[in-house]
Amino acid sequence: MGTNYFNSLSLREQLEQLGKCRFMHLDEFTEGVDALKGKKMVVIGCGAQGLNQGLNLRDSGLDVSYALRAEAISEKRQSFKNASDNGFTVGTYEDLIPTADVVLNLTPDKQHTSVVNAVMPMMKKGSCLSYSHGFNIVEEGMQVRDDITVIMVAPKCPGSEVRAEYVRGFGVPTLIAVHENNDPNGEGLSLAKAYAVGTGGHKAGVLMSSFVAEVKSDLMGEQTILCGMLQTGSLLCYDKMMEEGIDPGYAAKLIQYGWETVTEALKYGGVTNMMDRLSNPAKIRAFELAEEMKDIMRPLYHKHQDDIMTGHFSSTMMADWANDDKDLLGWRADTAETAFEKQAAGDMEISEQEYFDNGILMVAMVKAGVELAFETMTDAGIIADSAYYESLHETPLIANTIARKKLYEMNATISDTAEYGCYLYNHACVPLLQDFMKPLKSDVIGKGLQLNDSSVDNARLIEVNDAIRSHPVEAIGAELRGHMADMKRIV
Amino acid sequence: MALPVDITFDAVDVDFDGHFQLHDINWSIQFGEHWLIAGANGSGKSALAAVLAGAGDLSGGTLTGLPGKVALVSYEAQAELIADELKKDDADILDVISEGTPVAEIIQRDTSDPDLANQLIVQFGLTPLLSRAFRKLSTGETRKVMLVRALASEPDLLVLDEPFDGLDVNTHPMLLEHLTRIIKTTPTVLVLNRIDERPEYITHIAWVEHGRIEQQVNCADPKAVAELNQLLHLTHTSISLPDPDPIDRLPALDPSKPLVDIRNASVKYADNVVFDNVNWRIERGEHWQLTGPNGSGKTCLLSLITGDHPQCYVNDINVFGFQRGNGETIWQIKQFIGYVSTQLQWEYRVSTNLKNVVLSGFHDSIGVYTHSSDAQKAIADQWLEILGMGHRANESFNQLSHGDKRLLLIARAMVKHPPLLILDEPCLGLDDMNRRLVLALIEKICASGKTTVLYVNHHAEDKVAGIDQYKNL
Repeated sequence: MGTNYFNSLSLREQLEQLGKCRFMHLDEFTEGVDALKGKKMVVIGCGAQGLNQGLNLRDSGLDVSYALRAEAISEKRQSFKNASDNGFTVGTYEDLIPTADVVLNLTPDKQHTSVVNAVMPMMKKGSCLSYSHGFNIVEEGMQVRDDITVIMVAPKCPGSEVRAEYVRGFGVPTLIAVHENNDPNGEGLSLAKAYAVGTGGHKAGVLMSSFVAEVKSDLMGEQTILCGMLQTGSLLCYDKMMEEGIDPGYAAKLIQYGWETVTEALKYGGVTNMMDRLSNPAKIRAFELAEEMKDIMRPLYHKHQDDIMTGHFSSTMMADWANDDKDLLGWRADTAETAFEKQAAGDMEISEQEYFDNGILMVAMVKAGVELAFETMTDAGIIADSAYYESLHETPLIANTIARKKLYEMNATISDTAEYGCYLYNHACVPLLQDFMKPLKSDVIGKGLQLNDSSVDNARLIEVNDAIRSHPVEAIGAELRGHMADMKRIV
Repeated sequence: MALPVDITFDAVDVDFDGHFQLHDINWSIQFGEHWLIAGANGSGKSALAAVLAGAGDLSGGTLTGLPGKVALVSYEAQAELIADELKKDDADILDVISEGTPVAEIIQRDTSDPDLANQLIVQFGLTPLLSRAFRKLSTGETRKVMLVRALASEPDLLVLDEPFDGLDVNTHPMLLEHLTRIIKTTPTVLVLNRIDERPEYITHIAWVEHGRIEQQVNCADPKAVAELNQLLHLTHTSISLPDPDPIDRLPALDPSKPLVDIRNASVKYADNVVFDNVNWRIERGEHWQLTGPNGSGKTCLLSLITGDHPQCYVNDINVFGFQRGNGETIWQIKQFIGYVSTQLQWEYRVSTNLKNVVLSGFHDSIGVYTHSSDAQKAIADQWLEILGMGHRANESFNQLSHGDKRLLLIARAMVKHPPLLILDEPCLGLDDMNRRLVLALIEKICASGKTTVLYVNHHAEDKVAGIDQYKNL
């Protein structure tokens, strides 16, 4: 294992890399896929990202094939069927890697070291290695051969959506980066841009970032607001509702589908719109709860960001990898045993609005988590655009997995890196919020305020609305969502 | 066995999420009566049928006697099930490709009598499909699964919205025979666009317009039925095709080459072969009809031409001068094609308005992501006029009825007068008037000399003058 790349940089270099992020204009992509035309692209890994990115690249006129391990081919494993049923050439590493101009590593994080070590000696002189996540380079310090160009192209959506949007004639927001240590011919950027065009990403917006900024913001987002906060929130809200005598089936349903429903509002119009879905008294209540939680949780968010920056997080996790995932698997099993996880959702009808009205505390938790994660990232030198994508933008995607199969499944399906961080967060956050939770009643979770009169003080409402709307995540969110909406509603 | 039914609507108003309302419905269904609900596209006939299955919110009047177990088969129910299956996939944040729910599981969910289910599965020829993912089936196959599921659940009331549409020639009479057999014990309500296709056992017709039941006709009264038929056969005024885009944006095609040349094509998956050894050469100006039973691969063959099927890259296919798999993009192929199918309708899930849906035909996209010229916008308006939707240009596409969506997608396919127009069962779900309109439009476009038409349909009476080449799968 190499040494942590980020820690090998000077403070000046660290700040420069963390602060790298720029929204690219459509006219920067006029060369289309030219830089990749006629080049041989070989994908390693045929999961949802690998397959769907390959389908898009091929439909953009590029030459794509799949390298799989010999066993996967001889045993006709799912990855082999995925690639061959879709009419791709499939071969072993030995068959395909030596002929590749670009190798696309689309395997899970944990396999990166072994995959890259296996393919690097076979790669052509002057070829390109592409990642969709920078953990291996930044945290594990993978040293790639000097003649090889190293780039990252990371669509910020699940693989199935990467394909669906391309087929519609659009794309998904995409982050690209060039590893500065490995850009021997200065062609990294043009290759990454052409790759983003090939997947359709340029139509929805491309962020030019760095490996460092991507990793440090991605880790922070996934362990705090995205997975950690939703897990902690689910457990606390459920237990509170049991304490308050709410029907268990109702409580389980309110939580399981509630995250998805409230964050759908977030997706369309940011925290402002999510809060606007509440009545005025409920909005003020949610605002106050969120403020209180932010004060309590702020040190925890800082600790997560600090541990990510120093490399403490990744070294702890890699030690667990080396120990056969003992901690990870133990925590995963514990999650399956929680009261919320074991209670099936009831079959009562809950209307879309009711999820807001009876889930005031959940809305407050999402607000607190999104804002804290965003503030902490930007305070640490990460640019607002990155911080937005890694916090607010991805929250609905994770909420969606909870709606499908609750926590155990969410944890089993997100990356192991995200899952490990999620448990760390949850173990610290549940006790931290204990005193805060104690006095709360079913009016904020389970039953709603049930007021006869929903009048509020004008001055207070204006104050609360101003505070919600003027948070920095709202400004950048409006701008980035605007880029997508411009293109979606152009007529 | 089914219980006697006595359903009564007394001045009932129903609201569907604010998008559509049924008004002042006064209607009763007695045991022994078998109703047909008919009406134009968008009239509310499917909505009324769905109310029997519990859809919508009652906002006025009283509705009594709805039995507990109602089975509904409709486009909306079918689309919802498909959307649920797609959502499972869409939601996939994990890096795994979701396989989807197998057909056997979809049927079993509601089955009350496993023996009956097995018998129906065999009759409808679904045995080979049982382990396949529901969402990977063809349109006709999906419809069969929905029918078998409904019939096997032995409901107290069976509501079938356009059950015969999209079924192949062998299945149609078989379903009819099955229905005729079970009506003694199971009351059925049918929704059909074509009154003349109603089974003989139908005793009453409810004619729906603008969300109201305008007429109730007892089929034993020949005079009333004749009047209703007359109402239906009002001919539409003669129409003319809107002009194509004044600026021809397409690269020139070599007139000496065929539009499509498919040699020895096959589509195979690890565990099944859809078809093998197919050859098809389509010359410019030769209009074709493609036929074959449900699941024979018609849509699949067409998607090799459009480039939507990934195996187009491993077959010997030459389209519009491009030998596939040589660095051409999918958009270079699609620019020559106008296309409509049920598949497309399921995939057209973006929130946009009616005018944009027509405009998207100029850009081959689902939704609009690029600017359209003023001329293109004017042409889109002309198409909306022809469809009688001129005043609805800004309405939301998602909230339209199935038939209205289909009409718009047909306009989207034709709007650019493409060199190749592929119409995969275009008339599915259209009422009599709109079907005639669409057939007239197809004839006009065939005769224009600029567009070559590939046409798939199951209705022998939907003949189009000018189509004289036949391919059977």
